[in-house]
Amino acid sequence: MSLQKDPEGNEKKYLHKFADFKNKRVLEIGCGEGRMTWKYASTSNLTIGLDPDRDALRVARADSPADWRGQVHFTNASARNIPFTKETFDIAILAWSL
Amino acid sequence: MVHALNEIRRILKPSGKLIDVRPLEAGWPVEIAAASGVVEAGRLVDLPVAVADDEAASAAMREAQSRGWFVKEREEQFSFYYYWDTPSEMKEFMETEWEGFEKLEEGVFNTVKSIWARANADAQVRVSVKLLITRWG
Repeated sequence: MSLQKDPEGNEKKYLHKFADFKNKRVLEIGCGEGRMTWKYASTSNLTIGLDPDRDALRVARADSPADWRGQVHFTNASARNIPFTKETFDIAILAWSL
Repeated sequence: MVHALNEIRRILKPSGKLIDVRPLEAGWPVEIAAASGVVEAGRLVDLPVAVADDEAASAAMREAQSRGWFVKEREEQFSFYYYWDTPSEMKEFMETEWEGFEKLEEGVFNTVKSIWARANADAQVRVSVKLLITRWG
């Protein structure tokens, strides 16, 4: 299939217009296969992608660029019970997941 | 959803920001796009489940706002385009990925096929999904 999603890069443009990710700790809720994650994670200090779908996370981990692996992690969890202590993140992203 | 927003508030630092990006049901246009221009062939039909999801998400954010958890700082809408090389590929995608949420009516599909068949060789089919992005402090 020849599907292309957002080749204009509008989503990336708006993400960076709305938040400064530089040196920030970011939690992305509903990261799925990491489609959105790759649009900002390289500038963050730490990005955690959260999703209840283990298969999607497997794809995200496999697609994770080797030089980002210290700074991007994926966790199998739901937004109803986020497995982190309070006041951990500078930015939370609801990625098409509310 | 409200419980999840409370969880997000808990893990954010006091100066933290919540960025909510989500599609808005709006009868997304189906278009034929080529170097020579873009032609709208019709619109998708939003199915009740998708509309209800939209309303539930907005209601949850309103509830979070009314409880003082978040304050809206900035909001805009923009287009997120899905492109396919042929009308058939678009139809197949919708029948598998968007089933129950969006409906491509037969008349619109026929119009898409007709316009696409007469267009230049570089013509693609696309759907303009309306996205809402909101920053909450």
